[in-house]
Amino acid sequence: MSDEEQQASQGGVATEGHGGSEPLPLASFDDPHLQPLAKHPRRAEVAVAALLAIGVLGFAAYEGITLGVGLFAFGFGLAAWGKYLLPQGPFVEQRHPLRSTDDERAAMAAVITERGGIAVRRRGFLGGILALGATVMGVVLAFPLLRSLGPVPKKSLDTTNWTKGSYLVDSLGRRVHVTDLEVGGALTVFPEGFTNDEVDMAVDQTILIRVAGPDVDVVTTPHRATWGPDGYLAFSKVCTHAGCPVGLFQHQTLQLLCPCHQSLFDVGEGRPANPVFGPAPRPLPQLPLYVDEDGFLRAQAGYDQPIGPGFWERTTRVHYA
Amino acid sequence: MSTMPETSAGTASGNGAVAVRNGRKQSPLDAGLTWLDDRLGVAKGGRTFLDKIFPDHWSFLLGEIALYSFVVLVATGVFLTLYFVPSAAQVVYHGRYKPLDGVKMSAAYASTVHISFGVRSGLVIRQMHHWAADVFIGAIAVHMCRIFFTGAFRKPRELNWIIGVTLLFLAIVNGFLGYSLPDDLISGTGLRIAYSIILSIPLVGSYLAEFVFGGVFPGNGDIIQRMFILHVLIIPVIIAGLIGAHLALLVKQKHTQFPGKGRTEQNVVGSPMFPTFMAKTTGFFFMVAGVLWLLGGLAQINPIWQFGPYIPYKVSYAVQPDWYMGWLDGALRIMPSWEFAGFGHTIPFEVFLPGVLFPGLTATLFVLWPFIEQKLTGDRAEHHLLDRPRDRPRRTAIGAAALSFYFVLFCASSTDLLANFFGISLNIVLWSFRFLVIIVPIVVGLFTYRICLDMAGAPRVGKRKRAMVVLRTPEGEYYTVESEPRPGEGHEELEPAPVPDFIEGIAEGNGAGETEPGVRRVGR
Amino acid sequence: MRRPHLRSLLPAGVVALAAVGGLAFSLTAGAVGRSTSVQTAADSLTPPPIHYVTHFTTGQVKEGEVLFEANCSTCHGTRAEGSAVAPDLQGLGPATVDFWVSTGRMPLADSSAQATDIAAFVASLAPTAPSYPDGIPYVNTKDANLQLGMRLFVLNCAACHTITGAGDALADGAYAPSLHRATSTQVAEAIRTGPGNMPVFGPGTLSNRQVADIVAYVTGVIQHPDDRGGLGLGGIGPVAEGFVALLFGVGGLMVVAFWLGERA
Repeated sequence: MSDEEQQASQGGVATEGHGGSEPLPLASFDDPHLQPLAKHPRRAEVAVAALLAIGVLGFAAYEGITLGVGLFAFGFGLAAWGKYLLPQGPFVEQRHPLRSTDDERAAMAAVITERGGIAVRRRGFLGGILALGATVMGVVLAFPLLRSLGPVPKKSLDTTNWTKGSYLVDSLGRRVHVTDLEVGGALTVFPEGFTNDEVDMAVDQTILIRVAGPDVDVVTTPHRATWGPDGYLAFSKVCTHAGCPVGLFQHQTLQLLCPCHQSLFDVGEGRPANPVFGPAPRPLPQLPLYVDEDGFLRAQAGYDQPIGPGFWERTTRVHYA
Repeated sequence: MSTMPETSAGTASGNGAVAVRNGRKQSPLDAGLTWLDDRLGVAKGGRTFLDKIFPDHWSFLLGEIALYSFVVLVATGVFLTLYFVPSAAQVVYHGRYKPLDGVKMSAAYASTVHISFGVRSGLVIRQMHHWAADVFIGAIAVHMCRIFFTGAFRKPRELNWIIGVTLLFLAIVNGFLGYSLPDDLISGTGLRIAYSIILSIPLVGSYLAEFVFGGVFPGNGDIIQRMFILHVLIIPVIIAGLIGAHLALLVKQKHTQFPGKGRTEQNVVGSPMFPTFMAKTTGFFFMVAGVLWLLGGLAQINPIWQFGPYIPYKVSYAVQPDWYMGWLDGALRIMPSWEFAGFGHTIPFEVFLPGVLFPGLTATLFVLWPFIEQKLTGDRAEHHLLDRPRDRPRRTAIGAAALSFYFVLFCASSTDLLANFFGISLNIVLWSFRFLVIIVPIVVGLFTYRICLDMAGAPRVGKRKRAMVVLRTPEGEYYTVESEPRPGEGHEELEPAPVPDFIEGIAEGNGAGETEPGVRRVGR
Repeated sequence: MRRPHLRSLLPAGVVALAAVGGLAFSLTAGAVGRSTSVQTAADSLTPPPIHYVTHFTTGQVKEGEVLFEANCSTCHGTRAEGSAVAPDLQGLGPATVDFWVSTGRMPLADSSAQATDIAAFVASLAPTAPSYPDGIPYVNTKDANLQLGMRLFVLNCAACHTITGAGDALADGAYAPSLHRATSTQVAEAIRTGPGNMPVFGPGTLSNRQVADIVAYVTGVIQHPDDRGGLGLGGIGPVAEGFVALLFGVGGLMVVAFWLGERA
């Protein structure tokens, strides 16, 4: 240890070690850099004290707002202390070059290439095995983790629980009778027997609307001539854009509106829920209905295409009218 | 006594200072310091640390808002984990909120209602947590604007810029996870959209979506546990680690500064860590916490009990994500319905483009910006002095255009509310936004560029001006003088000096400085 | 005698409201289920959930005729038979007319009594068509099931009127109105008659009992929400919250930073 360093450490302070010790900066008490900013330091001191006291009171009366006020006042006091009463400088500090010297860089590079070269260059085979092992381990570890997360989709996105003859029931499981809806009415329906499971209800949800009176078959497209008996129409309630429930039925303009991104679908005679506005790309799939001999509404068949938003495996069977 | 030779160690003054110190009585502080230093050598790095200079410009405090919001987030978040049940298991709620009494719902939702109604201080802490998240990301955004427009990301700080961008996106993701946890109607709808966005990824979308949710939406309920562990452990730990790295790089590279008297590329001018900066920043922490507490106590946020539990076939109108997701929701809304279908496959570009590619591209551009700018300007030098935005008209114009672009997208996420508020047709609003999102950035960019050029041409624009005082002499002669500097300005006119370690006079008990004779008052 | 000027009291009122916000709202939550239900003399010991008033006094009909003549006949015709500019009102039933007039959708909204009179007059002109209720519904919300009301509200109403009942814009210039000022009779009338673009919810879709539940939820909880946690910010959710967070949170703290830091 040099004499200088010895002296410094005896004094209880060490110096920065940049190319030898730097001087220990010294200032007189009346140095302008050490003066407070406040014009009247005594008044500032009183103000700071008051703020801190408010803070303490706020903490002590812990309940709702007082704590917030207390925190703010305490912080205000502390910050004001720092701003108005403590030395403002300006003080300066030198930057030191961030880069190392060329020698240091060369030494570092040499360690990797030359010392590391001993390991790799002569034992390239071992290095290869190491890399291979890491890769295999990574894949093997990742695979079960990924597979454990969920099932493989298979056909789960293509089908719903609607089948030939399914009764339409409301969310409480009550069958829908042909006399139930007024013209201009709307109801969310499900296939009977599938109103207990969230996934089922998410997939099967269907909006049943009535656009005409009894004995009127509503034809949305020519090949769906029998799908809308007694003024009833049913469409998948899952938006073809991002899957929100298309819950808004405007019965005068005969439109279904999705509340999330405002896709608009035209429904009614000659209007097979084509998207006319907004980001939805496809019509809402239509559920073919019939009225059985007891007057209950039932499905002629399930949906003829996957419901909801698009995905890679979805086939191109898009039914535009 | 501030002008000392830079290199000569152990000068008379230095020794004198040591002598003064040694002449003092050993205080408990000295004893403690000695004990620690014998074992850890704290005096070496410790003194350097306490001497560290922080430039004082107000805009350098914006990052601190984010930092302290994060502290509040962690503290309030820990409280919430004591009561929140991350489970989709169905329970029947029996509690203080009558309209939900006896209703079946997920344990996650029931416990969140319980936090709001049954846990002492639960609601204020929950709201504070939510407000803190909103403020956290807002503060990151304004902090990032400051960095961008002043060129603080330039060499050597590209790494810290990248860390910052990563923090921004992690914060956004964690915010989304956080407000999705309660499993209420609004957030469930958001999850439904997230599921559709994952589903839209070509080739792997359906696999990813079902892996993440454990099956077809809404899945087997695992999603809540998965979001929970991401939200409370994995992402916060990464955020905390990156904040540590962010600050470590700041310390290592030292802070940037605006040009000014005595400020060069080789130095930093400002207040020392101890005591000035420490007092200010600690005070600022308390003020951030206070503001967040007041928001949490005075302004309602996300009253989930009014929304009811999430049921997949139910929906509310006027659902928006939190503000920091607004730009994505807006992009989803104004995107035209371009779906590709062919060759037995479907690519839902109307979701994939705004939901996956667009944020990905945004993140990539943000990360690469320092390098893009280097390429464009050819400037590879180190910079520690900041730009004034008007001196870099092209960068400023690009930044302003980008900001306006994201702002328009953000506004587009409330097309329905705007249509309702102004009583105009929803269709008109949507089509307006489809055009505005292109027009506004171009106009803003060109306008900003022009303003920058004009300001650069005019001298002393943006400088703080002093009032001119008109005086009348007893003879009736008028003349003007510049008024006295305002508080805070006097110091800036001093030549910056190194931080003194030893201050003569203070050891002799000169406590109250301002009454001492011979003390120079500064700047007034 | 000088009376305090209302406007001068306003700031104080706002401050007071903010201060006691949480407390006041938690108290109003207790009012759930005790909302404005109109009890008529005809109520028996077990009142039905909805009492439809189908018969009106001749005095009401006469009064209604005068009002109709003066205010409505220019467009709708003296016998409410409609014209090129206004629809035929015959057969729509008293509930439809009462709703349109009492809510101010038709340019006459003096009082609900006048609306009832006009409804009585129009109802006297022709029998009500079967798809419309033949009386003005008065809802008894005393025995209503609030939980079921919430469930049905979220399923059938929130999609347009929003979960907080604030209302929102629909396609092509239509809009779903706010429910915050609707009376229990108006809510029931709207459900049953489907005014404008609103779907019709007949007895086959929602029973009188269920309508009463929904009405109880609207007049009880939606109109007097449990807004604990401070100011409600208009019930329009994250957009308003975002503005508050950015303006008061980030903006306020930036002002603090501006004070704390150097400005040049």
